[in-house]
Amino acid sequence: MSSLTYEATGIPVESEEADPVNRRVELLLGALASSVLLFIAGMILFTLFKAWPSFAANGLAWFGAGGNVDAQLTDIFNSPADPADYIYKLRAWPLIWSTILISALSVLLATFIAVFSSIFIVHFAPGPLQKLIEPVVKYLAAVPSVVYGLIGILVLVPWINSTFITEEMRSSVAYVIQLDGSSVMAGVMILTVMILPIMIALIVDSLRAVPLNWREGALALGVNKWRAVRTVSVRAIRPAIVAAAVLATARALGEAIMLAMVTGSIGFAPNPFDGFLFFMEPSRPLAPSILDGEEGLSVVPFGETMYAFGFILIVSCVFFSFSGWAIRQSLGRYSIGAR
Amino acid sequence: MGIESADEVHDRTESGIPPIKRIVVNGEMPPVRVSQGEANGAPTHIAESFVIDQGAMAPAWTEERMKVESLGVRFDRKEAVKDVSIEVNSGEVLALIGPSGCGKTTLLRSLNKLVDLTPTAVRSGRIMLDGQDTDLMDDTLLRKKVGMLFQQPNPFPMSIFDNVAYGLRERGTKRPGKKELEPIVVDALERAGIWAEVSDNLSHPALSLSGGQQQRLCIARSLAVRPEVLLLDEPCSALDPISTAIIEETIVELKSEIAIVIVTHNLQQAERVADQVGFMYLGDLVEYGSVEQVFNAPMAERTKDYVRGDFG
Repeated sequence: MSSLTYEATGIPVESEEADPVNRRVELLLGALASSVLLFIAGMILFTLFKAWPSFAANGLAWFGAGGNVDAQLTDIFNSPADPADYIYKLRAWPLIWSTILISALSVLLATFIAVFSSIFIVHFAPGPLQKLIEPVVKYLAAVPSVVYGLIGILVLVPWINSTFITEEMRSSVAYVIQLDGSSVMAGVMILTVMILPIMIALIVDSLRAVPLNWREGALALGVNKWRAVRTVSVRAIRPAIVAAAVLATARALGEAIMLAMVTGSIGFAPNPFDGFLFFMEPSRPLAPSILDGEEGLSVVPFGETMYAFGFILIVSCVFFSFSGWAIRQSLGRYSIGAR
Repeated sequence: MGIESADEVHDRTESGIPPIKRIVVNGEMPPVRVSQGEANGAPTHIAESFVIDQGAMAPAWTEERMKVESLGVRFDRKEAVKDVSIEVNSGEVLALIGPSGCGKTTLLRSLNKLVDLTPTAVRSGRIMLDGQDTDLMDDTLLRKKVGMLFQQPNPFPMSIFDNVAYGLRERGTKRPGKKELEPIVVDALERAGIWAEVSDNLSHPALSLSGGQQQRLCIARSLAVRPEVLLLDEPCSALDPISTAIIEETIVELKSEIAIVIVTHNLQQAERVADQVGFMYLGDLVEYGSVEQVFNAPMAERTKDYVRGDFG
């Protein structure tokens, strides 16, 4: 490339367009970035490849309801050693339903609480309280989930059992499940607490970033403080709220240990038509199912079934990231930043 | 923006809209100061009419709306405004001039109690609106009557229509429908001199407008809620000369309806739009009088130096 040299010194003439250092850095960083993308894509494909026998054997019925999912998992675990006789039959709806139910309820609940508490922290809390409350809330994000699970199983579950569950409730469903306080309600409550800190941290930061002159503009029009915050600040940070909710959803989908501890770990699909009882019913989402199945991974069809659970979780996270991005795009039309 | 606006002005002259004009008060008949010290009742003072070339906009009367009585504002230990007394009359424009940091913006922000948002601010003295102490009034009620325009254009991140309708929608308990709002929004945009530019895209984001258009949109937003007093905090400092001229024209047109207080760094601007001028220096109101008196025959040495451009 640089066959030209300065006459006297023999130092190669550097050409402007292709500074070799720039080029090298560019390639290096580019390689790094694309290897991350490749790694993610590779992981998704590998998981799909491993999970394929489970999906192929069940077809779309894999996602449907039918039979006792725990019994089906036991059958898969007890498959004969001959690959030709592997059992794959699975109707995973109870686990999927539980995942959707617990994640959606806790993200919804957490979004409401996070928005209102962020508004309080930023705009209404007196100075010293504000200085105290914010780092404490952010610290909560670092509490290990197993600690939450422990508190849940020792405190929350017995409390739900003694406070909300009546004998009539117990006997009304005794022919299918036992109610002992391990429930959707316990899972949702603790999961909400777990995902709140990260949401509050994100929403507080974005509320702080709302230009002061927008709020002053609203106040100067004779709008009261609460209305000004709600209609200008909260409106402006809607993209950030969506971003926080997506992050929280990813965390909720992936939470395994705590949920395995407090939701009763039973492959049961809580029935919304049971009324209030519905919240007291046990269930088990996909991520804790993988955790529970850990000791069976050496059984080939069982391992493949677990890969199938993992694949559903990965794909859901990717899906939520993209839809979150799309929503932020459309909300961003009238606001600044957070695209 | 620059090129676009130049075209606009060109269009204005060609399409028969009179070009932006400078208000010149003829020499022999200076405007008469309204007598001071009549706090209560706010009687209508009939002053001699101004003789202004191209006429029509001259207020024939002034009426006291706000009265600042020995106002002091301090931030921590720093005194921003010291013992200032001044009046704001409808039918005329009061300009506050002075070097940076002299307290004129703080004085202005005291008039609608926006200064109270600063946690360290301590205010003393009284500010009366139509004979009523503003400290006894609800903040939101005061700000409904006393509108404000800021130095930086601050349209909300919403559509143009929603920006103008914002105050009307969010002030009451009942949100008016789009049908009721539409004529008010259109009227406000017209009065702010921006209707022609935005009439066919009211649903566009306000933040996509140019700086000058944004500021005029903010004027429209203030006007839509029918303020009785309008505070302008260096409204043109971030704008190009053409947008500035349009806004100045709007100010002169508005003064027959509402009392206007403008803070400005720009002495020419004060001379062009103001009837009364207050010169502030280090928190003191050094001089206060008619625009001719302050600019042509200032009493204080400091004022003389400032208006001559010797400092500031």
